[in-house]
Amino acid sequence: MFGAATFHAAMAEVVVGTMVLATICAVGCTIATIFPNIAGGRLSSERVMVTMDKASIAGALLGLVFMPIAALSGSFAADNVVNNALLYNKFVYTGLAFGFWASFVIGRVRLGPGVWQHRSLSVLQGATAAMAMLMTTMASSIGGKLVRGESLFDIMPVWLPSDSATVLNPVFSAVLLLVGIASLVVVFRLGPKAERISLD
Amino acid sequence: MRSRTTVLIIIALLFATSASVANPAGEGDADRDYTCGGSCHGDPALSSPSDGTVTVSVDPLSFSGTATAVHVTASGMSLSGNRLLGVFLLSSTSGNDDHPEDHGWNILQDPNGGTHNYVEVVVPPSGSVTLTWVMLAPAQSGIQTLFTEIHHGSNPNSNNWAYSALTRGYTVDVQPVPENLPGFAFDWTPETRVTGDDSPTVVGTRNTTSVAVQWMLEGEWVPHDAEVTGEGDEWHAMLPATIGETRIQYQVTTSNGDFSIVQPWLTVATEPAAFDGEIWGARVQALAFGLLVMAFLLSLQARLSPWDGRPELDHTEEVEAAETPPEPPGLEPADDYWSRLVPSEENPGWLWDPVEEEWVADPNNPPEGGE
Repeated sequence: MFGAATFHAAMAEVVVGTMVLATICAVGCTIATIFPNIAGGRLSSERVMVTMDKASIAGALLGLVFMPIAALSGSFAADNVVNNALLYNKFVYTGLAFGFWASFVIGRVRLGPGVWQHRSLSVLQGATAAMAMLMTTMASSIGGKLVRGESLFDIMPVWLPSDSATVLNPVFSAVLLLVGIASLVVVFRLGPKAERISLD
Repeated sequence: MRSRTTVLIIIALLFATSASVANPAGEGDADRDYTCGGSCHGDPALSSPSDGTVTVSVDPLSFSGTATAVHVTASGMSLSGNRLLGVFLLSSTSGNDDHPEDHGWNILQDPNGGTHNYVEVVVPPSGSVTLTWVMLAPAQSGIQTLFTEIHHGSNPNSNNWAYSALTRGYTVDVQPVPENLPGFAFDWTPETRVTGDDSPTVVGTRNTTSVAVQWMLEGEWVPHDAEVTGEGDEWHAMLPATIGETRIQYQVTTSNGDFSIVQPWLTVATEPAAFDGEIWGARVQALAFGLLVMAFLLSLQARLSPWDGRPELDHTEEVEAAETPPEPPGLEPADDYWSRLVPSEENPGWLWDPVEEEWVADPNNPPEGGE
């Protein structure tokens, strides 16, 4: 049998691995959209674009499925106790990563593969994937700090804060949660309908 | 079939292997036997003798139940990138019951302010560190032996070895305590304070009628007198609050008229204030942030996507332009505009536009004066 920490490490590796693939492919699609002639036009060729598009959505979907499992197993590995700022920030960054990845996947599914043909949408998708990866690596980097006391990101001169946490009052967090849910309802039900973009 | 079985066996073996990983970030302060130093780290394939020097300073004579300081100085060893050093204080090296408390000692304070026999410290750039354990000597008189061991890494450390060194045994002759000797209470241990807390430090004593306390910051040379109140076996010393990385040391002198015993220096053990976050708060906050990010990005996607009513898809202007009736023939800017202009001999350089009824400068014969 194995402990929750071991299971969490395995799940986290799946999440990070698949999302690295998704990010590389998403950023590749964005670059190909902005600079169609880069690499002699090979990057923006239909074959490469279709491959990168499918790899990015598949990687993001797989990571998104495993992310709650990783978060829950990590929570159990910590005995469901948050007793320091690092652990608290790990939760917060995981939530942010989930938000960014979910937005990336929903955007790609709603707008279709034609999203990469639309310059501004392509930039938005690439930036979303990059931010999502940043949040994911922050969460995993904190895991390294908690378990091994060090992280690859220790060598970075500037990095997002992790040693100190902004702990919101739970009531205020709950209000924010309701605001978030209401915002999503507004976006989906009352806002402009994003339509699937037809491929040229 | 045979090759498939072979592949499955290989895969099973690959999954069965476990990674052999050291703990470069340490294991944390703890109560440990020599087994920790002698089992994994004793494996010649995983360890190597330390290149450091360890010296131990302890009073060879002690009285039962009185405080005794053991100073351990480690220097000159190679260190890993995080400069972490693990130090054991042991009473034997048999592999079990090696803790000094197994031999009657009572650790009042370890070098990190706790009560453990194994501590980890970050070695300063000087490469030398001195650690002090303060212990109450065993109640049973006799010859006691103390060992110390160090563990550390190295940089580079391509073999992932642990480096260790075990000192010789240092003997302490524990004598029966003279009657009525003042000292610390057997059940007293220095308390740990939260950063910023300046509440009185409680000192438990026995056979004591008066207590004096001196304190100084680590690195200072001249101690300051602390105000002490109390009586009997419980005394309260007013020590300043510990802030940040500052460490305060204090020394208690217990007296009863017959004896006056200067006890070893102790450290005000300080821990950061308790973290005020809780798991459900973290979960709700994380989910709230995630949903807000989603709402913002999804609305941005909808705003940028080609939705009905979007300005760039609004063709009203084109439709209105197509439906607008053409200009009257005389007013439309025809190509033969210049051909309709009539030259005038009275006004050289000017052409008469009969439609607009105005004079227009002749581009081929500009009016004099450039008007």
